[in-house]
Amino acid sequence: MKAARKSMAVSALALCLMSTSVMAEELRFTIWSGNEAHLKMLNGIAESFKATHPDVTVKFETIPPADYTQKLTFQIAGGNTPDLGWMMEDAAPTFVNAGVLTDIGPVVKAAEGYDFGDLSQTAMGLWQDGEKVYGIPFSTSPFMIYYNKAMFDKTGLEDPLALAAKGEWTMDKFQEVAKKLTEANGTWGFEFKDGQGYDSRIMHALMPPIRAYGGDVWANKECGFDKPEAIAAVKQLHDMVFKDKSIVPPGESGDYYSGKAAMTINQISRASKMPEAGFAWGIAPLPSGPGGESPVIGQAAIVVFEQGKQKELAAEFVAHMTNKENTAAMAQFFPPARKSVLDSDAFVNSNKLVPADQMKNLAAAIASGKVLPSHEKSPQILQAMAPKIDALWKPDANVEEALKAVCTAIQPLL
Amino acid sequence: MAETTLHPETTARRKDAPWLTLKYREMLEAWLFISPTLVGFIIFFLGPLLAIVYYSMTEWNLLTGQATYVGLKNFHNALFINPDFWHVVRNSAIFALGLVPLNMALALTLALALSRPFFGVVFFRTVFFAPVVTSAIAWAIVWKFLLQGEAGVVNQMLAWVGIDGPNWLREPNWAMAAVIVTRVIKMVGLNMILYIAALQAIPRDYEEAARLEGASRWQVFSMVIWPLLAPTTLVIMVITTIGSFKVFDHIYQLTGGGPENGTLVLAYYIYLQGFEFFDVGYASALAMIMFVIVMMLTIVQVFLRRRGLG
Repeated sequence: MKAARKSMAVSALALCLMSTSVMAEELRFTIWSGNEAHLKMLNGIAESFKATHPDVTVKFETIPPADYTQKLTFQIAGGNTPDLGWMMEDAAPTFVNAGVLTDIGPVVKAAEGYDFGDLSQTAMGLWQDGEKVYGIPFSTSPFMIYYNKAMFDKTGLEDPLALAAKGEWTMDKFQEVAKKLTEANGTWGFEFKDGQGYDSRIMHALMPPIRAYGGDVWANKECGFDKPEAIAAVKQLHDMVFKDKSIVPPGESGDYYSGKAAMTINQISRASKMPEAGFAWGIAPLPSGPGGESPVIGQAAIVVFEQGKQKELAAEFVAHMTNKENTAAMAQFFPPARKSVLDSDAFVNSNKLVPADQMKNLAAAIASGKVLPSHEKSPQILQAMAPKIDALWKPDANVEEALKAVCTAIQPLL
Repeated sequence: MAETTLHPETTARRKDAPWLTLKYREMLEAWLFISPTLVGFIIFFLGPLLAIVYYSMTEWNLLTGQATYVGLKNFHNALFINPDFWHVVRNSAIFALGLVPLNMALALTLALALSRPFFGVVFFRTVFFAPVVTSAIAWAIVWKFLLQGEAGVVNQMLAWVGIDGPNWLREPNWAMAAVIVTRVIKMVGLNMILYIAALQAIPRDYEEAARLEGASRWQVFSMVIWPLLAPTTLVIMVITTIGSFKVFDHIYQLTGGGPENGTLVLAYYIYLQGFEFFDVGYASALAMIMFVIVMMLTIVQVFLRRRGLG
């Protein structure tokens, strides 16, 4: 009896040990996209990870972009931390400072065949602190001007791509064509990103012209909205909205994708929406200004969470996902931060919807662009700004006073 | 006085007596019957309520998971330091003062019109009640379209009659008015139903007696019906006031608290602090303050009504 009990215990123990050694491991990866093509590509990358890690599966979990940071935060707070996740630029400083992101530098740099030096240093700026690496950008996507070519042709205007090629695509030219397009077509000349430039996309509306004028919204803890460059840029924008009436004004909607505005600003991922639009279109760089060309980039990186239970394994997956081969595969959707991929013909020809000459502008913008501003207190800053920006977008607003008020409101938070 | 002593056998419990006496069995049964509700109440209501009291006295960083006890600092910040707080309370008060009387007056008017049977009465009741069961977000999205600047349907209709309508949701005062009116249209059906039920419960004899005595229609309403509606009016006033302080989805979708913080009300502000800035301690303190405000308003209303009735 005793012997039988003993042998049972031993075999149970052996079974336990065996099961841990062959037990499949699962990495949970939160991502904002639920797009079928994106998920198919990501699952393919997860599948190829099995070549070196046969027992590891990666589960991609979609959280819609609007709630992404919020839901991720609550998952972490609730002890349900994912192993890896997608993280956008404006949330990065908050997460880095809270110590939630793991330094994946050692694992990634040691990974076989991983060329860390190939990653563009400007693109890495937000994700590196000395030797520490908190994330690898997997989408470094510049903002481009989308234009309705049919409307330009109908109005007899040279399109932005042609103007850019001649070096004549400036802020003044932008204002001029927007006005002509509005008058000729009875639609709006320009619409801010997704029509949300007055509320949730304030930064996307103001940042490009301010940088084109050589200014910045803030730098080195100092507000830049009240600097002469920013004031000049916003004055021009204000004139376009209320004097020329060429930009969709606050409280109205004028959807570019359904032909109700001749131009808009957005990232390359929106190209997927264009085949449904039913008109000839193109993408061009942002107009340059007195500050020269100054592309603006929206960025997202892959990070590993400190509270995760399989940090090293997760970091190994980051290395796999962002190696040269997989970066090239993802480039059709997510413009890469790898110089070798950006310079390749494969990248220029990667997007079936966008011709090579337009993709070249995209690659150039990634190489020279600056990422959108981010801050540890981004949500608070945006909230403090919002009422002051509301006051700016009125026909009789004093732009200079309004922008000074913005600085007064946000300076304590910077 | 001689002490009375009981025989030991009557006080000592018999050894073979069942341990579960009838009294205890009934008590146990009662507890078992209410336990599903009780467990739910404790987990989903009492627990969080007590937790909020504790959280309101902490500085809790959601990301790092560190909660530091700070005493009444969050309350002090809200009441004496944060300049936004009183602005937000003021907005909530304006919202309530606009919404409650308008909602009640409209609900009563509709109820008076629709309490008696006539051809098509069910159709009209349904029409006015339908918005109540419509998704609040869908409702707000539709109104956001209708209330656009020049292209909005509302302004285009106003233009037909020669009125140049404002940019409803982009001007602070108009935005507040628009938010109140669209909310009233959405919620008035509920109060209308409550008033209809109350009106139908009033015996017709009272009205007939008053008529025989020579009372005018207005006198019948003001001296007979209105006083008899008092308990319903109190209930409606209390729930509408509480509802107006708790309004969130409507503001979230329609204005996001803007323009120029003109519609930034308390419930939305709490959401911002807790779910956008992740300042859970401060948000909890604000929620406690809102709880106290709503409770005090309710007590005052009940008190006033009692005095009025007395």
